[in-house]
Amino acid sequence: MSDLIELEELPVEAEHSMREEIRRVSERMRGRRVATSRVMVALCGVALVVAAVPLVALLYQLFDKGLSQIDWSFFTHLPETPTIIAPNATGGVSNAIVGTIALTIYASIVAIPVGVLVGVYLAETESKLATSLRVVSQTMAGAPSILMGLFAFSFLVHDLNIGFSSIAGSFALAVLMLPVIIISTEIAVRNVPNSLREAGLALGAKSHKVSLKVVLPSSITGIVTGCILAISRAVGETAPVLLVIGGGFTNSWQPFDPVSAMPLAIFENAKSEYPSQRAQVWGIALVLVIFVFLLSLTARIWASRKQQVRN
Amino acid sequence: MEQEIEIMTEIKSETTQVVTPAVRGAIAMQLNNVAVAFHGRVAVRDCTFDVAKNRVTSLIGPSGSGKTTLLRALNRLHDLTPGAKVSGQISLEGTDIYRGNLTVTELRTRVGMVFQRPNPFPTMSIYDNVVSGLRFNGIKKKALLDESAEASLRSAALWDSVSSRLKVAASNLSGGEQQRLCIARALALDPEVLLMDEPTSALDPIATLHIEELMKTLKSRVTVVIVTHNMQQAARISDDCAFLLMGEDRAGELIEFDTTEKIFNNPDDSRTLDYTLGRFG
Amino acid sequence: MSVDQIPNAGLLEYEAVMVGDKPTVTSRTWYHWLLLTAVILFAAVSVGFVGTIFWSSFPTWAHHGFTLLTGKGWVSPDGPFGGLAMITGTLETSLIALVIAVIIGLGTAISIVFFIPRRFRTVVATLVELLAAIPSVVYGLWGLLVIAPWMEVTVNPWLNSWPFAKGIFGSPGQEFGTSLLLASVVLGIMILPTFVAISREVIAVVPQDLMEASLSLGATRWQMIRQVVLPTAKIGLLGATFLALARATGETVAVALVAGSVANAQFHLLYPGTSIAAWIATEFGESQGKEISALMALGVLLMLVNVCLALISRALVNRQRRILAKV
Repeated sequence: MSDLIELEELPVEAEHSMREEIRRVSERMRGRRVATSRVMVALCGVALVVAAVPLVALLYQLFDKGLSQIDWSFFTHLPETPTIIAPNATGGVSNAIVGTIALTIYASIVAIPVGVLVGVYLAETESKLATSLRVVSQTMAGAPSILMGLFAFSFLVHDLNIGFSSIAGSFALAVLMLPVIIISTEIAVRNVPNSLREAGLALGAKSHKVSLKVVLPSSITGIVTGCILAISRAVGETAPVLLVIGGGFTNSWQPFDPVSAMPLAIFENAKSEYPSQRAQVWGIALVLVIFVFLLSLTARIWASRKQQVRN
Repeated sequence: MEQEIEIMTEIKSETTQVVTPAVRGAIAMQLNNVAVAFHGRVAVRDCTFDVAKNRVTSLIGPSGSGKTTLLRALNRLHDLTPGAKVSGQISLEGTDIYRGNLTVTELRTRVGMVFQRPNPFPTMSIYDNVVSGLRFNGIKKKALLDESAEASLRSAALWDSVSSRLKVAASNLSGGEQQRLCIARALALDPEVLLMDEPTSALDPIATLHIEELMKTLKSRVTVVIVTHNMQQAARISDDCAFLLMGEDRAGELIEFDTTEKIFNNPDDSRTLDYTLGRFG
Repeated sequence: MSVDQIPNAGLLEYEAVMVGDKPTVTSRTWYHWLLLTAVILFAAVSVGFVGTIFWSSFPTWAHHGFTLLTGKGWVSPDGPFGGLAMITGTLETSLIALVIAVIIGLGTAISIVFFIPRRFRTVVATLVELLAAIPSVVYGLWGLLVIAPWMEVTVNPWLNSWPFAKGIFGSPGQEFGTSLLLASVVLGIMILPTFVAISREVIAVVPQDLMEASLSLGATRWQMIRQVVLPTAKIGLLGATFLALARATGETVAVALVAGSVANAQFHLLYPGTSIAAWIATEFGESQGKEISALMALGVLLMLVNVCLALISRALVNRQRRILAKV
């Protein structure tokens, strides 16, 4: 222990003068430092306000202009094309609502089972395939959604020649939803404590029984949250369906018919030359946003319920 | 290791000279009926004692007794916590630190702090870490920074091992060296009081011994207040000792304050004796 | 939370280990085959996703080569197809949007973490996430029907009164409400919630005791933020920036609605323009054959840019996580 601390004391005067200088400078600079801090803190607050203003304005105008457009016939009637004689004849948007629901259901039917299974596989195996698919799904989750439209178009509409249809749109949306579901399922399954798996295996259960009977039930809230978030993303996406669903004017549930969708109706009618049609777009946007918000909130409530169960 | 133990007993025999409160001399900080509450729930209360200048004062007690909470009140770190309220009076050299004519930044340059976990700033080099306090305080003169960096690294017994690599990231140092760097960082501002919150709890025994040795030598220039979990440590290094205990309503309170020698050998309160003998805690 | 932080359970390899060193066929049950089928399906979809778009764009690369990147004009239906206007438009709009979002977003994230009372923090965080969930077509609608008229009447004349306005914004009288500038602003507002959500998380995980250490050395709150918090979170914030940039470059319908949809390679911000993604959306409906292939080629470009940005962002966020694990 001979190397234990040997202190070298500075000469007392030198130390004293140093302390004096530190105190003096620090005293002199204090006012400016505190003022700078106050100004910068205030600027951060200003940034918060600047960020909030357009978003609050957007929400306000959405409700302000949208609510007046919504009545019973808005949901039940097919759209009409305004003419010079009847510039206010816009009809309803039932085809877009039916289309959005149909597209979302068809897409979910495919994307949810496949996504959940892939997510379970990624969480429960360690292989090169799993690692690369993980990177692929994470990259796909951030890919511009119009690319899903291009894919659906060249594969289904062009190569397989099935035409502009609900099924092509659902395909694009399913590709969009898959990575979201895969990632959230993988996280939920991995979050299940290993002790549960070991308890199951110790009782002599086969691994697939443990996965189905123990792990999946324990991670179900996380999986459901992920699925709802994926659906809420799909509902609002315009770009992928824009290229492939064809914009039908009927209430069709048929997979091979061209259909419309709420985001598409917004996109098309926002540029309309008739003020009545432009006004109606706010109503569609309001319904869409409420739909998306409800889904997001449901997902959040599921997620917080999960935490309560944990605690 | 045998040698170490010998040193430790030596330290103990040095610190256990009888010093009665009457001859303790000048007072650095004064606590008068201090209590800290979070959202109305009292965490620690009834703390009245004086921190004597150039001595080491330790705060001991079982976990939950509010030692750390009390320590953090001494340089107003609770200001950051929403819902925290400090009542009573704490004064530094006679100035009330909460109501007196003392800004919070000035207080903190005069009352430094060393934390439980060695926490050098990860994005700064060793040198930048040591002079960070000076730079925060607006000191830009290179000569003064250099001089002060060397002096404080020497005081923290770190100069010899790091003088050749001052520009290296601080995260490359070992845990014990990082903690000494944090002490050097606090010393660079030449504070009057140095608060230490279980500074050795994250360190191995050798590094702990280094830090303890350091504290003993530091007290010639700075008053030390240390929170410790480790009663042997308190006995080894401190001159005065405050014993806190959790009351029935789960709020910590001061049971006894006296010289370390008295607290460990002949306390007034039976609970103090029970605790120091290891009967609970 | 990211997947990489949670250890892999490896449940499905358990029996293989129990049976022997190599997984044996007997240990595979119907469940394993089901999972494997789904995995193969997903692998096929992702290969098809990239492959189909590349394949459809092939005629364009073969015929026009890299004039797609450098050519100025876009003539339907037979070409030539020049993508310079879309590329410059994408660069201009997404970079301006990024500057707007980063400056405002950083201040907002700092305010949320440090200055908003704790009980409001969850509300604000929920609000930010809800705003990020608003479909982009709604932002586009708002930009087109509310902001564009306002720009045309109020903002544009004011901007034109600036010195050097002609060089930056274009000649007065030729500008439009729907313009590259409007697209940039709307994009900036759109990517703001994303940027705020990620940078808020990055800032919030900076260890508390580092901040307390700086305050204990007499730092002011701003010094603590500027010299300790932001440097510690720097790499993660850079990751958030790249992610925001990736979103901005890929954004389609909002830009298609508010940029004016004119393929004109220029830098005057008040003139109408377009971006790669927006041009695909606006042109696709009326195009056939060769033009579709050219739009697919633009899609390839978009995909490459986006994958690069996403990978950079991912690498940065992972590095930040490793740094903080060491702290």
